[in-house]
Amino acid sequence: MQDPVVFRVERILRSPWLIFGAGAVLAGALALALWLLFPLYKGLLADPFWFPILVMAIMLNLILSSTAICILAERKIAGFTQDRFGPNRVGFWGLLQPLADGLKFLLKEDIIPTQVDKPLFLLAPAMALIISLSGFAVIPWAGEVRWPWAPDTLVSTQVASLDIGVLYVLAVASLGVYGVVLAGYASNNKYAFYGGVRAAAQMISYELPLGLGLLCLLLTSGSLRLEEVVRQQAQSGMWYVFLHPLPFLLILVSSFAEANRVPFDLAEAEQELVGGFHTEYSSMKFALFFLAEYAHMITGSAVLVALFCGGWAPLPFSSWLADSTAWWALLIKLGAYLAKVAVCIGLFMLVRWTIPRFRFDQLMRIAWLSLVPVGIALVAGTATLTVLGLQRTWWACLGLNLVALLGMLWTAARSGRTVTGRQDDLPDIHVEPA
Amino acid sequence: MPILLILMLVLGAVGLFLALPGGRADLSRLGLLVLAIGAALLVAGLTQQLAGEPGQALFAGCSLVALLAALRVVTHRKPVYSALYFVLLVVAVSILLVRMQAEFVFGALLIVYAGAILVTYLFVIMLAQQARPAPYDTRSREPLWGCLAGFVLLTQVAAYVYRRPASEQAAVLPRVGGDAILNVATPLLTHYVVGLEIVGVLLLAALVGAIAIARRPAATADEGED
Repeated sequence: MQDPVVFRVERILRSPWLIFGAGAVLAGALALALWLLFPLYKGLLADPFWFPILVMAIMLNLILSSTAICILAERKIAGFTQDRFGPNRVGFWGLLQPLADGLKFLLKEDIIPTQVDKPLFLLAPAMALIISLSGFAVIPWAGEVRWPWAPDTLVSTQVASLDIGVLYVLAVASLGVYGVVLAGYASNNKYAFYGGVRAAAQMISYELPLGLGLLCLLLTSGSLRLEEVVRQQAQSGMWYVFLHPLPFLLILVSSFAEANRVPFDLAEAEQELVGGFHTEYSSMKFALFFLAEYAHMITGSAVLVALFCGGWAPLPFSSWLADSTAWWALLIKLGAYLAKVAVCIGLFMLVRWTIPRFRFDQLMRIAWLSLVPVGIALVAGTATLTVLGLQRTWWACLGLNLVALLGMLWTAARSGRTVTGRQDDLPDIHVEPA
Repeated sequence: MPILLILMLVLGAVGLFLALPGGRADLSRLGLLVLAIGAALLVAGLTQQLAGEPGQALFAGCSLVALLAALRVVTHRKPVYSALYFVLLVVAVSILLVRMQAEFVFGALLIVYAGAILVTYLFVIMLAQQARPAPYDTRSREPLWGCLAGFVLLTQVAAYVYRRPASEQAAVLPRVGGDAILNVATPLLTHYVVGLEIVGVLLLAALVGAIAIARRPAATADEGED
């Protein structure tokens, strides 16, 4: 028996007019406010000190709100992969689902178990989120821009232009594990503890291929500044993914591992460890871990796009807009960057619902027995090319990658070891017949 | 001023001695009190010295955080907290390094210490956690000699800093132009290349040695997972 009030409320919530109307009103109000207040912030936009701070405020909010959209997208993609609809009850096409999720998180009881290490228990989710958000500081979102009303100041859409850009990304990424490890330790729960220990071991292992892949790229680009790497790619039109497909794969796989995403989410592994490191967390503290995971994914994608996929460069194999500093070019570049990040996140999500989770020894074997040797070989090869001055010649780089790939396949075929399967240094299991 | 300086150092040494987990009488509260007086003196001295320079507030703040974190590394009874205070110490020191334009060392310190070594420490500490704190966590081995050695060292440094000629004291860090990475990398790979290679070989030897020591005979390999 359907309650007529519930029915009516549900019908209103599910009508497309509500969400589109609300969206249109909000967007209109925002546009009107921006238009009316333009003289107020015009000066700030052209100021080299205030503009990065504005960029920071805008991008931080954009990222935090896009995590909500990411969660919806994740569930929709899960539905698509598993041949079902996904969330489609709240709002038109389920578009209000993130709001409902957020409300649910806020309204749930916030439990702190009695036997936990309270300071660390409270610190862990905050640390996870803060660290995963601080990587954004060096992303060059849309290059440089010269506003029409201030033609002699060039402002950069990057929050902090560091000489050590890529190193900063590495440093922040390497701090990312503390949230998970502390959560696992402080929870005073053996499942959470195993999750934390796994996360620590995994993070240490996967930082090596990440660093090796980055080394190949840095040898090619010759600069650690992210904006310089992006500018090189935009001007030559030769994105580094075309030159270095294998290092790109190395970094892609490692960033899956660093973001704790399937197939590397051994730290939460709900089938074995109940929920892993966040078993004891509820309500908003759990939501912070959730947000941190998505924020981590967005940072990882943004860095990957900047390093390998041309950053804000809209078209591959062309130097269109590479030197333009007009305001409309800024919009196109930003759009191109965000679109690439979105594609990358879509890939992360598709992989999550396609590939099963690795077992822990497989995960370690992938890192230490395949990714690290290949990485070392690639670094040595790229260094040789750099000495010969061929590091930006496409045929030399692709040849190197091809040789490395063939070497990998040959070694794998020769070694005769199974890639997956049982851990072979353990004794056989003898099961007594019943 | 030198009396104040020496008083500060003495207070620091005595306070640290009392605050170190000695295992005999629990005097850590008293130690913290003494340390707080020392810290107050330090803050007073810093405010007086740096009053005219608002840019130095970051320096003062980060140094105080680093000092506090360093104290807690040695005095905290839970090893996990000690490791975390070490992380805080590394982060505070790395901020000081950024302030000194040593951006590369900042990145390296964060990656190597906070990102790799301390994660490994935490990993080991967590694996070795017991129901109650181990004896080597609850008492420090040689608190007196340790504090004395630290006190003597700090006195030397303080005396040197205090006696430097005023011209040298006033000298601001020279602004080095150019790329921070190039400034580090070029001398490292030209002038100091032999030293760099030797360090590399040494580290490799240490790595091989560590593996040789840690490797267990194959017969017992089924006891643990790595």
